[in-house]
Amino acid sequence: MIKLLKIEFKKILTYKIFWILTGLYFLFLTLGLLMAEFMINKQVDNFNSRLPIPFPHVTIYFFPWIWQNLAFFATIRYVLIFPAIVIIILITNEFTFKTIRQNMINGMSKAEFLASKLLIILLISLIMTILLTIGTLVLGISHTSDLTLSLVLDKSTFMIGFFITMLTLQVYALFFGFLLRNTGLSIALFTLYLFIVEPILYYFLKSPLVFENNISPYLPLNAVLRVTEYPNIQVLKNMMGINLQDSISFAACCIPLGYAAVMIGITYWVLLKRDL
Amino acid sequence: MFSHFIIQILETILSISNISKRYGKIQAVNGLSLEVKKGQVFGILGPNGSGKTTTLSIILELLKANSGNFRWFGKPPSKESRKRIGSVIESPNFFPYLSPVVNLKIVADIKDFGYDDIDRVLTLTGLFERRNTRFKTFSFGMKQRLAVASALLGNPDVLILDEPTNGLDPQGIAHIRELILHIASQGTTIIIASHLLDEVQKICSHVAVLNKGIKLFDGKVSEVLAISDSYELSAGNLELLTNSVKQHPAFQSVVPGGDKIQVYFKDAVDPEELNLFFFHQGITLTHLSERKRSLEQHFLELLDNNK
Repeated sequence: MIKLLKIEFKKILTYKIFWILTGLYFLFLTLGLLMAEFMINKQVDNFNSRLPIPFPHVTIYFFPWIWQNLAFFATIRYVLIFPAIVIIILITNEFTFKTIRQNMINGMSKAEFLASKLLIILLISLIMTILLTIGTLVLGISHTSDLTLSLVLDKSTFMIGFFITMLTLQVYALFFGFLLRNTGLSIALFTLYLFIVEPILYYFLKSPLVFENNISPYLPLNAVLRVTEYPNIQVLKNMMGINLQDSISFAACCIPLGYAAVMIGITYWVLLKRDL
Repeated sequence: MFSHFIIQILETILSISNISKRYGKIQAVNGLSLEVKKGQVFGILGPNGSGKTTTLSIILELLKANSGNFRWFGKPPSKESRKRIGSVIESPNFFPYLSPVVNLKIVADIKDFGYDDIDRVLTLTGLFERRNTRFKTFSFGMKQRLAVASALLGNPDVLILDEPTNGLDPQGIAHIRELILHIASQGTTIIIASHLLDEVQKICSHVAVLNKGIKLFDGKVSEVLAISDSYELSAGNLELLTNSVKQHPAFQSVVPGGDKIQVYFKDAVDPEELNLFFFHQGITLTHLSERKRSLEQHFLELLDNNK
């Protein structure tokens, strides 16, 4: 395992595109998280202009709900696309440069090759979870007045949800990369699926055109996004009439993990069957 | 008897039995069987599209054969056997944004070697000066040489080279051939695919000739590719000459032609030795001239005869 990571590090360490994309990801993620409160209050102001009794401004950076709020804003589609593209590039590069062939010739097994990519995904997810945890603690401590340890740690399980979201979405990206093998095509189809195909499918399944069902929330991407479904903002509840989740649900985590497992299985099977 | 049998098994590096590979309608390899023994420089010779690269891809497990099987070092193929093989297949495949050193470190990691051999192979292939420049800045010749360097890493038991001099300038070709001969002299088994007869003749000890996926011949280069030169002969009594030349141990065929006869031999025959042979038979030649054929002509004939 250490050996596989050593090899992956060499492939990544001086790869400019990887660092540029990672840099952009951090930039957008940090800006997005810091601006989230401001943007929500803009919406509240808009809403308030039509109301006799205005809603109060929200604050999202206080314990314990900051765990849920940051986990939500760090896993919206617009942010998740970055690590997904990084993973797709890292995998399809191996096909473009034919280095997967060379790795096999040199004595790597297909299982090891797949495992090395999964290890990188696992590592990126872990690092991101640690960084977000640190960021949450810093932001939360500076925004919360009566700090107690139990208050800080309450709801911190949302970080597990964030980790699972990161992990499974990158596995989806890996699946696209391995199946399509072409960088441009994989990124295009993944982006289309993320922003267009599944949203359309989501509403199509709810429409009267199909038999009555409740499949929509179980679509692969929705399953991932539903791990942290909404930020914990009271105004949202009042405005949109939604029920806020107050903890990570085990079942909601299992669905994307199940999808990921199936995709890893299919990827391995295809890798074994196909000529390189 | 039994110990002899054991030695035979130990000495076999690669045995291919009856492999076939088909791409749609095209039968790329058809029932190919081969045996490569330790220390041989084994050439796979054939025109473009004769199934050489497909065969090498199969034995490196890049392609799956439709039927048949092969064994490395007497065992079914595995990633462990691949670690003992160094190979250059088609184009050099490396990460363009990494330097030769880092690219070779990746190879060493996969093969469970240390990094101490990297400087040696880079020096051998003349790339040491450029060891820290990115691969994508390399010329084709340098890329090809890096592929050879990667194949040589860790002194593999077997070296597989697919058209190793393809696309190189004359100097590069000479350098690579010299390198191959040097490695062969150290006892490394080498399997080399080429469409250049001249190359196989210069480098290999054994050869298999492929055409359209079928093996035409295999054996020692000196036997398979022996140039059966022909001689034009004449003597006072042509009939006697014709009869006695048939007694020659290397005789293959004779073609009468007016006042001369054209004689083909299986092996190379020295004109002096030939003259002496007839002299002992009591025949004095009035005419003796050697007709040489080019290697390429010979190769084409080999392929032609087996259409």
